[in-house]
Amino acid sequence: MTPPDRRLTPDDRERFARQLELPEWGDAAQERLRDANVFIAGAGGLGSAVALYLTAAGVGRITLADPDVVELSNLNRQVLYTTKDAGRDKVGAATDRLVSLNPSAAITPLRERVDADSAPGLLAGHDIAIDCLDTLAARFVLNRASFEVGIPMVYGAVAGFTGHVSLIEPPETACLECFVPRKEPPAPAPVLGCTAGLIGTLQATEAVKRLAGVGETLAGRLLVVDGLAMRCDVLEVQRDPACPVCSSR
Amino acid sequence: MIVYLRSGGKLCDLLKPDVDEYTRKVDVADGLSIEEILATLGVAPVMVAFAFADGKVKRLDYVPADGETVTLQSPVAGG
Repeated sequence: MTPPDRRLTPDDRERFARQLELPEWGDAAQERLRDANVFIAGAGGLGSAVALYLTAAGVGRITLADPDVVELSNLNRQVLYTTKDAGRDKVGAATDRLVSLNPSAAITPLRERVDADSAPGLLAGHDIAIDCLDTLAARFVLNRASFEVGIPMVYGAVAGFTGHVSLIEPPETACLECFVPRKEPPAPAPVLGCTAGLIGTLQATEAVKRLAGVGETLAGRLLVVDGLAMRCDVLEVQRDPACPVCSSR
Repeated sequence: MIVYLRSGGKLCDLLKPDVDEYTRKVDVADGLSIEEILATLGVAPVMVAFAFADGKVKRLDYVPADGETVTLQSPVAGG
């Protein structure tokens, strides 16, 4: 039997022309994105930017998980949605938007919360997990699951004008519990909408680079963005020998 | 010894910056950890997730050197 032709189509070449021209990119990188399967946990402020940019960039398969419905108070930062989506389930509204952006993207909506029991099974079969969640507790669940399944996780979090981004590569790099203590701040955190957009876009950049195999990622490093002072620090993070998640390997 | 503590947001209000908009200069006994320095300023440890200095993430038991600038980071968890 003849294998299917996996080369880029003429439509692909037109849609992705501006990135295919990049010397670091080209057909091979684009094909890797098309063949990728990404799990986005959370379809809020971070998830909106991540999902839009990954879909636009040509990621072939995306699972988007979130149990919530769209509320008016989401719309300062959750740019996947419009006012008329208020009351709709987020993943349903998001799927419509993403498919309209790139009809060749296969979007799987999951209207559920990622918890400790479900997370490993949900992540299985994906190439990367992207943390767009809204509590530390949920992040630690995703962190542990990505470690157990053995896939990288792009960490992102925001509050006010501040945001964090890192790429966790189990078991080589520090995991989230190595450098983020269990100090859950009050929720929901006030946040400037564009802070979420900025951090989500940086997360998407990390994911795209990791999937395509180009550039230098934030593996083993934490980017801290202070939007109020407009200052960025890139910090070395080290594994904690007593980490409850990753110290056993 | 002199330590410069830097922060932003609500944490910055607690630090009462005096060097610039974000930085507080403190004169503390040698050998104090960040957590112990924060206690002398009345800042609860729960308000600080971690610190960073010299391009590295530091836990709150880190003992700064004389003259070092340490940036404090509040817990960040929103999405």
